[in-house]
Amino acid sequence: MLTRRGFLKGGGLALFGIGLLGGIPAFIAEAAAREKVTRLYKKGKVLVCIFQRGAMDGLMAVTPFADPYLQAARPTLFMTPAKGGSAAPLIDLDGRFGLHPAFQAFEPVFRDKRLAIVHGIGSPNNTRSHFDAQDYMESGTPFDKATPSGWLNRAVGLLGHDALTPFSAVSLSSAMPRSLYGDNPAVAISNLQDFAIQMKGNPLGANMAAKSFEDLYDQTAPGLLKQTGQESFEAVKMLQKTDIRNYKPAGNAQYPNSALGSALKQIAQLIKMDVGLEIAFTECSGWDTHFGQGTTAGVFARSATDLADSVMAFWTDLDTYQDDVTLMTMTEFGRTVHQNGTGGTDHGRGSCNFILGHDTSGGLVHGELKPLAQENLEDGRDLPVSTDFRAVFSEVADRHLRIAGERVLFPGWNGNPIGVMRQA
Amino acid sequence: MKFVCTALGVLLLCSFNRGLRFPYRQAGLTERQAAAHLLSRFTYGATPGEVDAVVHQGLERWFSKQLEARLPDDSLDLRLSGYDALQLSNAQVRETFPRNGEVLRMARKDGTISSDSAMGDPKAYKDVLKNYMQEKGFKPLQELYRQFYCQKILRAAYSNNQLQEVMTDFWFNHFNVSMTKGDCAEFIPAYERDVIRPGALGKFGDLVLATAKSPAMLYYLDNFSSKNGGINENYAREVMELHTLGVDGGYTQQDVTQAARVLTGWTVYPLGREDNPLVQRLAAMSPDQMVQRGFVRDGDFLFIGNRHDKDPKTVLGTEFGPDEGYQEGVRLLALLARHPSTAHFICKELAVRFVSDNPPASLIDKMAQTFLDKNGDIRKVLITMVSSPEFWAPEAVREKIKSPFELAISSVRSLQATIDQPYQVYNWVSRMGEKLYAYQAPTGYPDKGQYWINTGSLLNRMNFGLAIASGRIPGVHFDLAALNDHREPESAQAALETYTRLILPERQTAETVRRLTPMLSDPALAGKVDAASNRMANEQGPEPGPSPAMLSQVVGIIIGSPEYQRR
Repeated sequence: MLTRRGFLKGGGLALFGIGLLGGIPAFIAEAAAREKVTRLYKKGKVLVCIFQRGAMDGLMAVTPFADPYLQAARPTLFMTPAKGGSAAPLIDLDGRFGLHPAFQAFEPVFRDKRLAIVHGIGSPNNTRSHFDAQDYMESGTPFDKATPSGWLNRAVGLLGHDALTPFSAVSLSSAMPRSLYGDNPAVAISNLQDFAIQMKGNPLGANMAAKSFEDLYDQTAPGLLKQTGQESFEAVKMLQKTDIRNYKPAGNAQYPNSALGSALKQIAQLIKMDVGLEIAFTECSGWDTHFGQGTTAGVFARSATDLADSVMAFWTDLDTYQDDVTLMTMTEFGRTVHQNGTGGTDHGRGSCNFILGHDTSGGLVHGELKPLAQENLEDGRDLPVSTDFRAVFSEVADRHLRIAGERVLFPGWNGNPIGVMRQA
Repeated sequence: MKFVCTALGVLLLCSFNRGLRFPYRQAGLTERQAAAHLLSRFTYGATPGEVDAVVHQGLERWFSKQLEARLPDDSLDLRLSGYDALQLSNAQVRETFPRNGEVLRMARKDGTISSDSAMGDPKAYKDVLKNYMQEKGFKPLQELYRQFYCQKILRAAYSNNQLQEVMTDFWFNHFNVSMTKGDCAEFIPAYERDVIRPGALGKFGDLVLATAKSPAMLYYLDNFSSKNGGINENYAREVMELHTLGVDGGYTQQDVTQAARVLTGWTVYPLGREDNPLVQRLAAMSPDQMVQRGFVRDGDFLFIGNRHDKDPKTVLGTEFGPDEGYQEGVRLLALLARHPSTAHFICKELAVRFVSDNPPASLIDKMAQTFLDKNGDIRKVLITMVSSPEFWAPEAVREKIKSPFELAISSVRSLQATIDQPYQVYNWVSRMGEKLYAYQAPTGYPDKGQYWINTGSLLNRMNFGLAIASGRIPGVHFDLAALNDHREPESAQAALETYTRLILPERQTAETVRRLTPMLSDPALAGKVDAASNRMANEQGPEPGPSPAMLSQVVGIIIGSPEYQRR
């Protein structure tokens, strides 16, 4: 087995010259053939996940606008695709579902069959606690709190090879998300620029300190500290190859000046640096719309604009890398069918999610949505969960990252895929 | 009364000290090395001179004192005296730090906010709420949390009863609850203060019962809502899987469901809610009436008889009920706490914390035997551990990797630093990968080097070393000259050796010194560093000793070095 350490020590840095020189050094090719690591330097597939924390109102994001029950349940929140009036109408996707106008940036990729939507997605566990539902969705075990690992961390372990670089799995967030808890290497960083030895206003001192640290970690006894120390400095050097601060997105992509925009921009940079990124995670908030949810303007619209504009800037920026990337959003549950007394919606069950990529079965709203008559609602109030999130997550991971063994990715899950990804 | 306490203390001390002998010589350690090892495991890091002090006192006697955990802590108490929220009860916390939703409800009730103002301008809306909070004397919960994080840092850095703080951290992580869950967050300060710390060196069974009844745990693992006809299994499962038996401890799903039924009706007394109908009903009852109607109140804990499943149940072959009420749960938790699987599971976790990431089975067996013989007496189990050769074996010494918190606090202690702004230290600990009290899963932080060390976190450890040593962590002050009793090192080389020894007592540091020497003694480099570091340049000391800027850089590198990450 070619180990992560072996790769880095043997040729990790040398590989950065490849783009310039062309071809793969003979020893790497040999190692690849010998160890059957076929994707050693072939541009890898990348799965990017965005957790929409707070529970997005799927019925507002992608509205079944012809449903009379919904209109009745939401006197001031219901929107239609009908033109007229000052407010922007819904974007009619298929005669049945309308995309909220704040998501308009998504329309071209939906029409282009790159964007798939799953409606009625959620967890089989009917908790309406944000914490519990996020926890279950991120561990991927909706009835077991003690699962130590997150599903994306398990995915790292199922990629079929060791993590080749320190950047195999990266979360752009201040703390390690539950999705990436586990034994496989993962890094949480809030800013790529922090990935260096730093002494503010004293670059010379920082340089000297870096040299000393490198020396000390090199001489220490073999083991975790020595290995990770060496990897750390190799990672720093990897990032130093690129001018992170003055990054120019491709295609004139305009990232919103938001936390999500900044996170996705950095994920795009990592992808383009070819540092071996395979799984990326980030999150956004603002979806817990109990008060003043609004329609074309308001809390929901602001969060939706940020999400759609950030994702589409990322997608434009990826340019030729789009083939290798699938992006998936997720949220812990949906919101009540009826609006509440404060112009918002409360915690519900089913919501919807977005999957963007060239191998999605795009241009469709997947999933099952019955008319929102009370007898069709869960507990008489909520859009029922008709698609288990594990069906979608495992299908996306399986098809895009070529992970076999869904049952290990989601212990206890043996359901079927629903066809959100195209058959290869 | 005071006499009795003192007498009791002396008795306790005698009983711990008597017959204690640590077998470190057999493992090839000198007394000083053994003292350094002992300090590295049972404190948040040795302060300069502390190894000598422990040798002087006697290792066994020092450990007994730590087990007793009654050393005066006046200096710590003084530092904590400015934190006014730390002594509040849960009910007072609810009154002083109401949640946003509650503020909103009150403001509506008062008519300060009309129900349709939620639809308007969110900024104006926020301002109205803010003014309302100020008017009422409410404070934001963030302030409570800030004080809570700061006290952990101050206690770890300055308490003389170090073992008690280390064990508090251990048990908190074992019975983990998380600030990331809003429902339980505000009760976590009292959880640590009233449940974990007082029980940290007591009987394991008492900890299980006290955590089960605490609002923080009842909300974190949802048992507060579990009732006859609507059970929630979360707590029942985790108390077996994570708190007592362990995942391979020999229980079944059937046991989990039955245990959940045993624990139905265990909930939280409605806190800070005088208008709550249940509170009003309870307030009108005499203690006898409460018992008659099936209520048990113990502080913030409330057992509600008519939410309890009265049918018979069987857990691990033991029968509960019918209709034994609150006592069923008490019996169940006691059964779990003294189970042989529990003894093994807990002792392994202790050995992982204090001995090595992969502790030998022989050691765990000995500890588990003591656990069973002494009814889960944590002190006795620790004594068995430290009296075992495995604790002192070469495979154990320096083999644990400090958690980010341990690294930060040990640095403060090594430098004998004063912390004026503990929150700054809290931020650094978060950056290094250990957001305090915020591990989301009930497993708690994995207590092993593999979890703490990755490329991102390791770079942040190095940056932390440089930041603290160069005085760039606001509110953390120290005096490097004072550490060496204001004796000026004769040369750069001497300075390096002196400070390495002070910060890394009883370690093999020759190689570290050799590697760092060129940097410290190169005058051209030193000049450049001083010039680059303007603030330090003004304080430059006379030749031939190293300049303060160079010295602090060297100290930063020692703190970020691989050797300092070990304990």
